[in-house]
This record gives sequence, structure tokens and C-alpha cells, in this order.
Amino acid sequence: MKLLKLEIVTPDGVIFDAEVKQVTLPGSEGEFGVLPEHATLVSLLDTGVIVIDQADNSEVAVAINSGYVKVDEEKTTCIVDGAVAISGEGSDLALALEQAKALLKSTEASNTAIASAVSRIERIGKSF
Amino acid sequence: MANLKEIKRKIGSVKNTQKTTNAMKLVSSAKLKRTEELAKRSRVYAAKLTELINEIAQKMQKNNAEGIDNVYFKENRNPKKVDIVFITADKGLCGGFNAQTIKRVNKLISEYKAQDTKVCLRAIGRKGIDYFRFNGIELNNEIVGLSAAPDYKTASEFISEVADSYVNGETDKIILVHNGYVSMISQEIREDQVLPVDSSKLQLNAVSTSELEVEPDDDDTLLDALVKRYVEYTMYYSLIDSLAAEHSARMQAMDAATKNAKEMVKTLTVKYNKARQEAITTELIEIISGMESMK
Repeated sequence: MKLLKLEIVTPDGVIFDAEVKQVTLPGSEGEFGVLPEHATLVSLLDTGVIVIDQADNSEVAVAINSGYVKVDEEKTTCIVDGAVAISGEGSDLALALEQAKALLKSTEASNTAIASAVSRIERIGKSF
Repeated sequence: MANLKEIKRKIGSVKNTQKTTNAMKLVSSAKLKRTEELAKRSRVYAAKLTELINEIAQKMQKNNAEGIDNVYFKENRNPKKVDIVFITADKGLCGGFNAQTIKRVNKLISEYKAQDTKVCLRAIGRKGIDYFRFNGIELNNEIVGLSAAPDYKTASEFISEVADSYVNGETDKIILVHNGYVSMISQEIREDQVLPVDSSKLQLNAVSTSELEVEPDDDDTLLDALVKRYVEYTMYYSLIDSLAAEHSARMQAMDAATKNAKEMVKTLTVKYNKARQEAITTELIEIISGMESMK
């Protein structure tokens, strides 16, 4: 199966850089999924959660506040303001969830957008 | 004898100064390492952002033969008012680091004054603020503490205010002056035109492989948001760059000071030994001549 290269860059550095199967992004005009060989696209990203289907079929979620994405045939680059990856186990996971919630709540997005994003990361957190 | 004591006291004091400068040098080199790391990581983000702006600007230029029709890109040939944002350190003891920036700002002011352009100064860092206040030059905006600990939020708030006045048409150009980091031993004054975005600097000849689809559909919305981010980020990155330069300048200055102190201890020790010998000789002559006279 073909894979797509995904990069997530924040002002504090690159937080994700790997080949993945699929990525779901919170676009400003609605959520959309990107598979390998997607047409070239640039979009604004809203407060929300990036869900990444990794090559080994595991799922990673990254909470973001806002940013941009540039998709082309071989590579997807997300340029975001702030991001927290939800991963780890036990107390690490709880800490990541807390940070993610704080990040989402600190944005200027509408309350419903924040609430839906928060409930989403909570669901993802439980599935670990 | 009083002279001997005096020299000894001096040696002690210089030795203490040497200890202090050496400690400051070590602190600066440790801080420099951390800041350098931070700068390295944020450079990636800056590069990606510029790349993206490039591509969108390129697309817009393709669609519009007269160039890019966006407020952030319009170059005003006869600027009436220019905003100069400059970054200095909050602390001194770093050689000519702050003086260089101030000198460049002064040069810019006189250049624009000669063209009958109004200049509006916005200062970051205590040293620059102190200098212009002392000289009675008005500062429109000042902030202390940001240059010692760059913070994205504060930086973006600061620059947004300037950018807003640009969008409102109150100012025609925004220039950012800071002393940037080149290597452990050298710094360089950087003068960046923040707004309007210098389209000649963008590499508009890169060939894009396929038609770029943009969401939201309106190019301007996206470009506006991007440029805003770009401006904020330029500010933030300049702060980090300036901090790295400050630490490297301080490291150098303190290194030189330590060396000078060492040199001084050496000369003072020689002086001390000479004075001591002189005292001994005088004493001996006194004893001998005393004995001679007894004979």
C-alpha cells in the first residue's frame, strides 16, 4: 500500500514526521481526510484534532489550535501554532490530555468547536 | 610599605573581577547553547511558512498580470510614515551589541528624515529604551523583558499592533532592526522589511506541478491569515535570533574581560615584586650604612 509523508511543524519544532496511511484534518470549511496522491491543496486549519492512521495501523491524535496545511502528491505539511500529541500510557496520557484540553480551550474558536474537539480527545484517550 | 599594601589590594580586587567575568562567560555559553537549539527548531517552521506564502503568492501572480493585488504586498514608493521596530538587550556587559543596533536605528532615522518621512520608533529591550529616553527621542511603544525571554504570544501582540496600523494606512512601511546571530564569535546587524512583504524576495519562478486548490476559496482570506502569521513569526524569530546574538556577544565580551584581568594581575604582580625588592634593598642599604658609621 502506498503511504504519504506527513509532517507537523510548530514554532517549537517538528513534532511529527513519518510515513502514514491516512490523515484526517480539521479544515476551516469542514473536516477532510487525505490519502496518498491527494491533489494539491492549501487549506486553513481550525481548532480541532488531527487523526493519523499510522503505517502499523495504530492511531495517533494531535490536538491543534490553528494553522495551515499544504497537501501535494507526495507530501502533506501541517504548519500549526500549537499542538499536543495524545499518546503514552497512564499518567503520561492523562497529562497529555490535560495539556491538549488547555490548548483547545485557550483558542478563540466557538464554544461548540472547542467542546466537540475536547469530547473527541477524551474518546481517543479512553480507547488507549 | 604603603605602596606594597595598595598593590596587593589591587591584585585581590582584579582577581575577584576575573572570577565574576569568567562565571558570566560560562553562564552565557550555557544559555547560548539553549537559545541556539531553540533557533534551530524554529527555523524549520519559518522555512515552511515562507514556502507556503511563496506558493500562494505565485498562484495569485499567475492569475493577475499586474502583480499581487493585496494590501500586504503593495509597495508604497513614497512612504509618508515608517515604523521602525528594534530589539536590544535588557542588560549590558555585552560589548557593542546594543550600541550597534542603536547606531543603525539612528542612521535609519536620519535617512528617512532626509526624505521627509515621519519615523515612528517602537523599542524592545531596556537598553534601547534608556538610550532614546535619555536623548529625548520619543518612543511610540516600548516593552521590557521580551528580549530576555521571547514569548510567542507577547511578541505577536506587540507586532500585531504595528501591523494593524499598517493595514489601517497609518504607516506605509515596517522595518525590523536587530543584531542577529552568525556564529559563536560574530554577530551581524539585520534590517528586515516586515511589511509590505517584499515580493522581489519571494522566489516566484519555482514551477508548481499542478493546479493549487485553495480552501477557503477566497485567496485573500488565506493570504491575509498567512501574512499575519508570517509577520508574527518574523518578530518571534528575530527575538530568538537577537537573544542568541546577545549571549554570544556577552560571551565574547566576558572572555576578553577575563583575559584582560589575567594580564592585569600579571603586570600588577611584577610591580608588586619590584616594589618588594626595592623595599628590601633600601632596608639593606640602611643597615649596612648604619654598620659602616659604627666602625
